[in-house]
Amino acid sequence: MASFVPTDPDTLEEQRLYTSARMVEVQCLDCLAKVTAKKNSDHHTSIQWSTGARAACPELCRRTRPDGRDSHQACPRMTASIDAAVRSGEIPVGADDGY
Amino acid sequence: MSDTRMLDQGTTPIRFARGWHCLGLATAYDDGKPHSIEGFGTKLVIWKDSKGELNVLDGFCRHMGGDLTQGEVKGDNIACPFHDWRWGGDGKCKEIPYARRVPLRARTQRYETAIVNGQLLIWNDPEGSAADRSILPPELPEVMTDKYTDWSWHTKEINGSHCRELIDNVADMAHFYYVHFAFPTSFRNIFEGHTATQFMESTGRPDKTEGGYSDANSTLKSEATYYGPSYMINWLTVDYKGFVTEVILINCHIPTGPDSFLLQYGIAVQKPEGLDEKTVNYIAERYTESFGDGFLQDVHIWENKVAVQNPLLCEEDGPVYQLRRWYEQFYTDVADLKPEMTDRFEFEVDTTKANEYWHAEVADNLARRAADESTQEPVSH
Repeated sequence: MASFVPTDPDTLEEQRLYTSARMVEVQCLDCLAKVTAKKNSDHHTSIQWSTGARAACPELCRRTRPDGRDSHQACPRMTASIDAAVRSGEIPVGADDGY
Repeated sequence: MSDTRMLDQGTTPIRFARGWHCLGLATAYDDGKPHSIEGFGTKLVIWKDSKGELNVLDGFCRHMGGDLTQGEVKGDNIACPFHDWRWGGDGKCKEIPYARRVPLRARTQRYETAIVNGQLLIWNDPEGSAADRSILPPELPEVMTDKYTDWSWHTKEINGSHCRELIDNVADMAHFYYVHFAFPTSFRNIFEGHTATQFMESTGRPDKTEGGYSDANSTLKSEATYYGPSYMINWLTVDYKGFVTEVILINCHIPTGPDSFLLQYGIAVQKPEGLDEKTVNYIAERYTESFGDGFLQDVHIWENKVAVQNPLLCEEDGPVYQLRRWYEQFYTDVADLKPEMTDRFEFEVDTTKANEYWHAEVADNLARRAADESTQEPVSH
């Protein structure tokens, strides 16, 4: 059942731009997790995990507090892997018209 | 063709979110009388039975539509004021005093209940699934002990806005400056499964004194998580001139119609050691007031804005599209859920440039105010 139905077909393209355009694949340097990431600036980061990547990350899998508060922190290994991909130029830094 | 960008207001859903919804403090309903609350496009009846359980049913009798909230509790059942049909907490009609037998089809809409942190929660699902207790919000270990003040609980009716407007705040960094008068110095989101979290650190704006987050003497560390579509726990550490207080804010709502909802919020403050009861209660009241003011600042915006399906974002904005993709799961049949609705997503907002510009603006405001005051001073004497 549909909800929040856009009435303009261009809205679907906007959704694509903001959620998946320019996302670059990054392989964790320490485990099998593979995410996509984007850097609009030095201080900005966007990281999209998949179900498979989440299951492959031993760091996140160890976090099992019932209130989930421990899994609300980033995995330091994935953060380091993304930083490395930025340094090597695989992830360009900069936004394209706000997305 | 014009380059003018148009707002896509879209159409709002006719269904209500699947998940746990909070009706308020359980003690508000436990006096043995029928209680009434608007929710999910209808009215709900709530009462306590002899076993001490709280029951929640659709408020209108399936016989002739009588208002059960104006009925009476008889034994464990709620009796309709119209013809005395008696409904049990399981949704079945238990007795019709004047009838030979109860029709087999006499079942009404019931809502499964849970008590969490002293609050009554009910499960809503348009598909009619059994309540998923594995995704209840967590119990807060020390709240409701003498380490925290009692819940200070408040409600506010919002009309003319879908409750998604309230959810959008999770990803909205810049509104903390403009609406709540704070500098958000750090801002991060994580969405995963049925939870959506916002981490924020902020300090108040010295050029504003209108309450909310605006006290320039206080620094705030905030971790706020939605557990499902409508129940947020906000852990706040407030540092006021070096005096640190832990505050827990519950922010929850129940949709009442397609563009209206009842906002509820409750505050419990960790009692600082060495302070007497009166001072502690005073501190708790001040926090309740200031976060209450914060909601009122939002409400004014919501009541006057339009819905936007295609928000236009700049580099300093949070992940509104990803947040809405997450929120969509609660309006989607379980069979149609897409992995991206629940897959983990992390986002760090770059607040550096924004704060640079904002500090300059605030400095201007303060300089202008100082200039105004110095020219007015001779007149006031």
